[in-house]
Amino acid sequence: MEINELLVRQITDAVIRELNQDRSAAPGGEDRIEKVDYSGYPRAKQGTDPKEVVIGVGAAFQTVIKNTITGIPLDDVIRNIIAGIEEEGMTARVVKNLKTSDVGFIGLEAAKLSGSGIGIGLQSKGTTVIHHKDLYPLSNLELFPQAPLMTLETYFNVGKNAAKYVKGEKVLPIACTNDPMVRAKYQVKAALMHIQETDQLSPELNMIEWTV
Amino acid sequence: MKRSKRVEALDQRKVNLDGFIDEWPEKGFIAMSSPYDPEPSVRVENGVITELDGKKREEFDFIDQFIADYAIRVDRAEESMAVPSLEIARRIVDIHVSRDEILRLVSGITPAKMKEVINHLNVVELMMGMQKMRARRVPGNQAHITNLKDDPVQIAADAAEGALRGFSEEETTMGIARYAPFSAIALLIGSQVGRRGVLTQCSAEEATELELGIRGFTTYAETLSVYGTEKVFIDGDDTPYSKAFLNAAYASRGLKVRFTSGSGSEVLMGSTEKKSMLYLECRCLYMTKGAGSQGIQNGSVSCIGITASVPAGIREVIGENLVAALLGLECASSNDQSFSNSDMRRTARTMLQFMPGTDFIFSGYAAEPNYDNMFAGSNFDAEDFDDYNVIQRDMQVDGGLKPVTEADVIRVRRKAGQAVQAVFRYLNLAEVTDEQVEAVTYAHGSKDTLNRDVVADLMGIEEMMKKGVTGIDVVKALAETGFEDVADSILNMLKQRVIGDYMHTAAILDENFHVMSGVNTPNNYMGPGTGYRVDGKRWEEIKQIPHRIDRHRF
Repeated sequence: MEINELLVRQITDAVIRELNQDRSAAPGGEDRIEKVDYSGYPRAKQGTDPKEVVIGVGAAFQTVIKNTITGIPLDDVIRNIIAGIEEEGMTARVVKNLKTSDVGFIGLEAAKLSGSGIGIGLQSKGTTVIHHKDLYPLSNLELFPQAPLMTLETYFNVGKNAAKYVKGEKVLPIACTNDPMVRAKYQVKAALMHIQETDQLSPELNMIEWTV
Repeated sequence: MKRSKRVEALDQRKVNLDGFIDEWPEKGFIAMSSPYDPEPSVRVENGVITELDGKKREEFDFIDQFIADYAIRVDRAEESMAVPSLEIARRIVDIHVSRDEILRLVSGITPAKMKEVINHLNVVELMMGMQKMRARRVPGNQAHITNLKDDPVQIAADAAEGALRGFSEEETTMGIARYAPFSAIALLIGSQVGRRGVLTQCSAEEATELELGIRGFTTYAETLSVYGTEKVFIDGDDTPYSKAFLNAAYASRGLKVRFTSGSGSEVLMGSTEKKSMLYLECRCLYMTKGAGSQGIQNGSVSCIGITASVPAGIREVIGENLVAALLGLECASSNDQSFSNSDMRRTARTMLQFMPGTDFIFSGYAAEPNYDNMFAGSNFDAEDFDDYNVIQRDMQVDGGLKPVTEADVIRVRRKAGQAVQAVFRYLNLAEVTDEQVEAVTYAHGSKDTLNRDVVADLMGIEEMMKKGVTGIDVVKALAETGFEDVADSILNMLKQRVIGDYMHTAAILDENFHVMSGVNTPNNYMGPGTGYRVDGKRWEEIKQIPHRIDRHRF
């Protein structure tokens, strides 16, 4: 019991320490980009519309980062996902996750906010997941782990499939793609983009409504 | 500037497609040692570690506390810490100092001290260390068995061929996560068709993976990830304590488990606390030991693109493998992820584990073409089998594989496909046609196979999981459809969980289901004339590469 209490206290302390650190801007790293102030944005609301798909985007989305890892404009990415959702007769809502930059959790948090329980997680570098509110964080309905292989057509189909899950259809998952050399070509760039995204977190704001 | 034709030619070399970056300690882009790494220190009061690597107990994060309480032999700490790091490094490569003596000495040092020890060793010395410190006497190898379509028939065929080629363990994963139960069953069946006693696992979300293990669809687990900073743990909703608990859950059902770590993950996730990759990985390995795991998969693993991008990155990789061995852990030493466009560079990287031998040189080797490797590509794949066998023969090194005949390959692939077809039919899971089995039998990869009805498969899986099908049902299905020998093998694999011997460090099974581990077949290397040598039957096997000139027919 003693260990448990100690542990709980330590975790709490650690979280608080971390929160304070993030609030007080720059811990190390000379090449730091200015942090965007999101405090004026409306907090993300719990949805009630059973027809909605909530798209959770990363903290740097359309602000610090404007293109995916292969240079696809994020404006086009989000437009295509929304178009896919709408083509199936469902509605889309976008929220920005300022608490975590992990795509699994971004997707799950979006799904939990979604009136339908279906959400999409989208990192600014382009990595995407379709999630359901009752799944484990690191599980998923469909995962697109290799951002460099994503095209606007795939993003459109992600939107479509997410909407089909809302409708309760038997969904054929989007065919997997694989580039066995993706790590050699892109992993360093992926790390740098993820650092940029993580640097933009404002955990105290949790999630905000985001107009694309 | 007028361009040099020489430099233009060099610019076109594939190695220049790889990602390289300068050291940047503030963001953790530094391999062996960061200016922000702590100095080694320890203080013990009343049997409790009250200071660890420059931090007082009240300043500990949960990783420090876990390490101080569970991963360091408190009774040896002060004595071991008094031995200079350089002296420990020298003893590691001294053939007159036994593995047991090193294990004892090292069990009392801290992560920062461990990092310092490794920094004294160059790559040849790190390999010498590994040759002595590897847990099991005979090295081993592990395969990845996956495909782009998540086709269970192909998984079974590739598993059978991989087992035939010599892999002691086989691991699968999926493009579509929900396919996991089919992948696990197909791997279990196929592996035993190829060679009795091969261990199998299915890399999936942790709760799913545990369930597959409990049901008897897998015979070991590997994907219990630990990280070197608290922030990365918290982001994943985890702690070292939750990992220890999960480890115990597997142990309670008699399943072999190893953890997974590897440098670069904290960099990729943006939380390094400015520490070096090696220091953070040392913390991971201490946690693994503290959590009671028998072993680890490490060596940068899926973040190798990061570690390999910085100076001395590949030295760091064998360095962290050696740390695992020094802590007495089974080491499945990565080589499992593509990181370079250069054949020369990817081969050089693998030699550091191949030459000394590790418990599993790869974790794993893509036993399918890399376009089918759903871990985003391994460092070696099915098209490298002959190269690998030749290198074993050239060097007289046991890399865990052996040459095979085409007739045997076709035979085991067909039988594996038919066995899966029979089980799926008997348990009413999904249709597998004769044409599918035929295509998979002769296939190189999923480009040569027929498409499955994915929606029907996913429905079959859902129903199977609801009905509570287990490994015993698979045994029964095989026994009643004419595959008694495969049924017998799988039953024997399930029995291992009751016997429990294969939970010992670095355990694998031979074809008679006898355990070979670091406990009953420990590495006893102490210089020339000792330890494992490639000779006898095994050497004859390695010699049998295809395409040899027959002097009698010349």
